[in-house]
Amino acid sequence: MASDTTGKKKKKKNLNNMGYLFVAPFVIVFLIFNIYPVVRTFYLSFTDYKGFGEAVLSGGANYARVLQDKFFWRALGNTAKIWGVNIVLQLGLALLLTIVFSDIKYKIRGLTVFRALYYLPNLIAATSVAFLFKTLLDWRYGTINQIMMSTGLMKSPVNWLGSPGTAPYVISVISAWMWFGNSFIMLMAGVQGISRDYFEAAAIDGAGRFKVFTKITMPLLKPIMLYVGITSLIGGLQMFDLPFLISGGTGGAPSGSTQTVVMYLYKFGFETNQVGFASAIAYVLFVIILVLSIVQFKAMYGKNKGEVA
Amino acid sequence: MKFKKVTALAAAGVMALSLAACGSGGGKSSGGAGDSSDVAESKSTEKTAVAGKKDAKEKLVVWTLAADLNQFADHYVESHPDVQIETVTIAPADYPTKVQTAMRGKQKTPDIIVGEPQMLDEMYEAGYFEDLDQDPYNAQDYKDDIVDYVWDVGQDEDGVQRTISYQITPAGIFYRRDIAQEVFGTEDPDKIGEYFKDYDTILQTGETLKEKGYKIFASDGEMNFFSGDSAWVVDGKLNVDQARKDYMDLCIDLYQKDMTAYVDSWSTTWYQAMAGSVPVIDKDTSVWDEKEMKEAEKKGDTTEVFAFGLPSWGVLTMRDNVGDLSGKWGVAKGPNYGFSGGTFIGISALSEKKDLAWDFLKFCTLDPDTLDWWIDKSEGDVVSNLEVLEKHKDDENPVYGNEKLYQFFLEQAEGIDYSKVTKYDKVIGDAWGEAIGKVKKGEKSKEDAMNDFYDEIESTYPDIEVDR
Repeated sequence: MASDTTGKKKKKKNLNNMGYLFVAPFVIVFLIFNIYPVVRTFYLSFTDYKGFGEAVLSGGANYARVLQDKFFWRALGNTAKIWGVNIVLQLGLALLLTIVFSDIKYKIRGLTVFRALYYLPNLIAATSVAFLFKTLLDWRYGTINQIMMSTGLMKSPVNWLGSPGTAPYVISVISAWMWFGNSFIMLMAGVQGISRDYFEAAAIDGAGRFKVFTKITMPLLKPIMLYVGITSLIGGLQMFDLPFLISGGTGGAPSGSTQTVVMYLYKFGFETNQVGFASAIAYVLFVIILVLSIVQFKAMYGKNKGEVA
Repeated sequence: MKFKKVTALAAAGVMALSLAACGSGGGKSSGGAGDSSDVAESKSTEKTAVAGKKDAKEKLVVWTLAADLNQFADHYVESHPDVQIETVTIAPADYPTKVQTAMRGKQKTPDIIVGEPQMLDEMYEAGYFEDLDQDPYNAQDYKDDIVDYVWDVGQDEDGVQRTISYQITPAGIFYRRDIAQEVFGTEDPDKIGEYFKDYDTILQTGETLKEKGYKIFASDGEMNFFSGDSAWVVDGKLNVDQARKDYMDLCIDLYQKDMTAYVDSWSTTWYQAMAGSVPVIDKDTSVWDEKEMKEAEKKGDTTEVFAFGLPSWGVLTMRDNVGDLSGKWGVAKGPNYGFSGGTFIGISALSEKKDLAWDFLKFCTLDPDTLDWWIDKSEGDVVSNLEVLEKHKDDENPVYGNEKLYQFFLEQAEGIDYSKVTKYDKVIGDAWGEAIGKVKKGEKSKEDAMNDFYDEIESTYPDIEVDR
């Protein structure tokens, strides 16, 4: 009898160890390619590393410089502007489409087709998107200006990409166009996870579409919304590829209005070899994103974590 | 059972690797706005050519920016059949980054790295190049063989020789002889040089030409190579001296007083101007926009550009574009000595084939026979070797009215002073150019533009002292 149970215990122990074995490859690679660079960057942010040679410790000098540099704050402001408009458009559109497609009265066909179509812009490489929109938005003869003028919406062409007042928002719109499909898929998945019973009960009780949306759909979508919100926040505040390609460099033409924080970081890390300073910028951004994520989390969930208000 | 275990482990391993590969971008890219999903590895701007036999004993890897070295490689393996050279040509915009990645990653190839002057200072500081003054290279033995400024550019800030070039690229004013005869009564290069001797004279020359319906330059950018050699940074302080301010004023005047054709360098219309007349356009027309240019052409007004400011490689550019105007161009002296570009070759500090690399480097830059061959092969490139330049001193170039260009460029090259260049020059130069652009277009007042300029320098290089 005794030998039997020890035999079983051994098997269990073996299975547990097997688990660690399966997880090990990922953990090792993760440690090397994710954790190590993060830690090293943190270390470098306290030095004056120039990309080669010795890294001399300089204490908090880099951080002081970041916080006092007016160009950093300008970049942060630009990033916030671009991201703000982007997120409203992106989530707004995604939410609108979700409502349309999840309506039980008018069952819209072809959800799969539409989902794929809306996701398509996300599949185009950023370089192609940048080139496409640069051509469309060309100041005198681009298609968009042509259409708006011929339909009488505008009298004279607007220099979308050349004036500091419009350029950042143009980037927001393009980015929203690229990513709304992604948000839409997330939200639809979330909605489809809501039991039909709630909607039917609401329909029986005579609740209008708006009431259903605000009292049933939105609250039950909170976890997904939070996920979409936070990932958009992280991605948006780190935006680099689109503004870099459209403005053609890290300067954020015109007049630095499209220079995001990561473009500013890139200029120091890779164009002027001030890697220590760039590392500090990266960590300041990290702290900002962290704080905003926590704020967002608290806002969604109130004081009690995990409770769906 | 064992088979299942093995396959399960293998599958887990593959998954782990792929997870980690996209895990570094993965967590972020799955949601939200804008992760840099794939800033495409622009392999299409890279071309690889192999010279020599496949089974050659020795192999050399050369990374370059211009296809010239392909031809040098081919020529080299003709006399060295036991060597194979692989030349990778990378677009200049990508070149510093690619080299940086390779060197930071401690790669053993490439063996030969090149650079254009504006890239070199950083590369020296980063330690990418081998010290060529030491044994067995002893580059200083060849000091008297090449034009002086080439040695200067090739040295790092401690005076150690790191790179050498086979070219010299002094700037000159390429002017139309027929227009010169008509407007100034002479087409002699020395006399025309007088009309370009300083900025004030240039403005007067511009007015004279304007009255006769010509434009002195395609754009104010043509004076770029003649902005002088004042140091931007002296003893850690930013130095914006009178010469720089005069240059800014020159550009502003040329632009605002309507003396240029508003045709940017390297646009299609710019090339057109080398062969004859171009449509008249105004400040707001973009010369890069096809439709706008077609509209301007329809209007029918045309003008001709009198001169281009180009370094010696302009000889080749213009030769390819002058068309029927061949023979009607000449080259004169500008208000300052200047130069731009030139391929400087060095040995990678990490190379394992330094001796072979040095042999190839010497072949390309210090061997008179090679350079003689190159003058023929390139049909007119100006080389750095003094002996060869002497030999070709009396070569007359028919495109330029039989002017003796090698003699001219040698004289110009001797006036170049490289000692005041700093590693900050590129960023400062770009910011200065931006400031000039804003003021000339009337977007900002001079004071505001200067303040922006100072702000930019302070922010980018906090170790430079800025006095406003």
